[in-house]
Amino acid sequence: MTDIIDKAAMALSGGLLVLGVVVMGLIETLAGKPFGAAPITNDAGEIVATPMIDPTIRTGLVLAGIAVLGIYAAYKLATPVPEETAASREVTAD
Amino acid sequence: MSYQATNPLGEAFELELDGPWTAYWLAMLRVLTGWWFFHAGVTKLIEDGLNFAYGPAYMQQMTGTALGPIPVWMGNNLAWLIAPGVPLFETLIGLALIAGALTRLAAFGGVVFMTLFWVGNAGFGHGLVNSDFMGLLLFVTMIVLGTGRYYGLDAIIEKMEFVRQRPRLKYLLG
Repeated sequence: MTDIIDKAAMALSGGLLVLGVVVMGLIETLAGKPFGAAPITNDAGEIVATPMIDPTIRTGLVLAGIAVLGIYAAYKLATPVPEETAASREVTAD
Repeated sequence: MSYQATNPLGEAFELELDGPWTAYWLAMLRVLTGWWFFHAGVTKLIEDGLNFAYGPAYMQQMTGTALGPIPVWMGNNLAWLIAPGVPLFETLIGLALIAGALTRLAAFGGVVFMTLFWVGNAGFGHGLVNSDFMGLLLFVTMIVLGTGRYYGLDAIIEKMEFVRQRPRLKYLLG
């Protein structure tokens, strides 16, 4: 049984990851060139088009999602392990 | 992660395939991998439509690889398929993975693409294990673990009577 903290960690981290990569990626794509997260340069190396959404924001959201998982991991480490009867699920060999 | 000394693979942090965290992460991997290919495909569709001329040209220069003459032959003889196929199939593979529909079939397509990219790009400056190879491994993982069953449409499709009567279809779903 997944408790509320597990579900919250999944929802928040997953939401941040998908927001940063997929949702904002879709917006960036629909906004026209550059379709990716890097600026377009001409032959002289001058920037001729920049992404609509600063990649710093997108990578920040993704890293925040990873950080949520890290915080959840720290929480699991800091809380006592529930006394469960794991042995009850084990099957003995015949 | 904490675990019980009596059963390190038990309860506290599920490692079983029906574990909630496993299901969550496999779905995340599937969607993000799908987005990667969808984005690659749809931007080609926007820029070149169904005439991605770079595709056949890319394969024509794949000489001296582990795939032997196959890529060059494909580039020379299958341009009619590759030029529209690369943007179209990348887009469809991406959409299928995002939705979790026909996951294994789509991921097999991803394996074909990534095999060609890994060998063709030959970005081996830091060793054979590079990002192209990691992409290839991700698609293999999608197939092996049948990730469409986790928050994906294949979970529903596989319960349909049509599939129940034809269990072999699960090799394409999952």
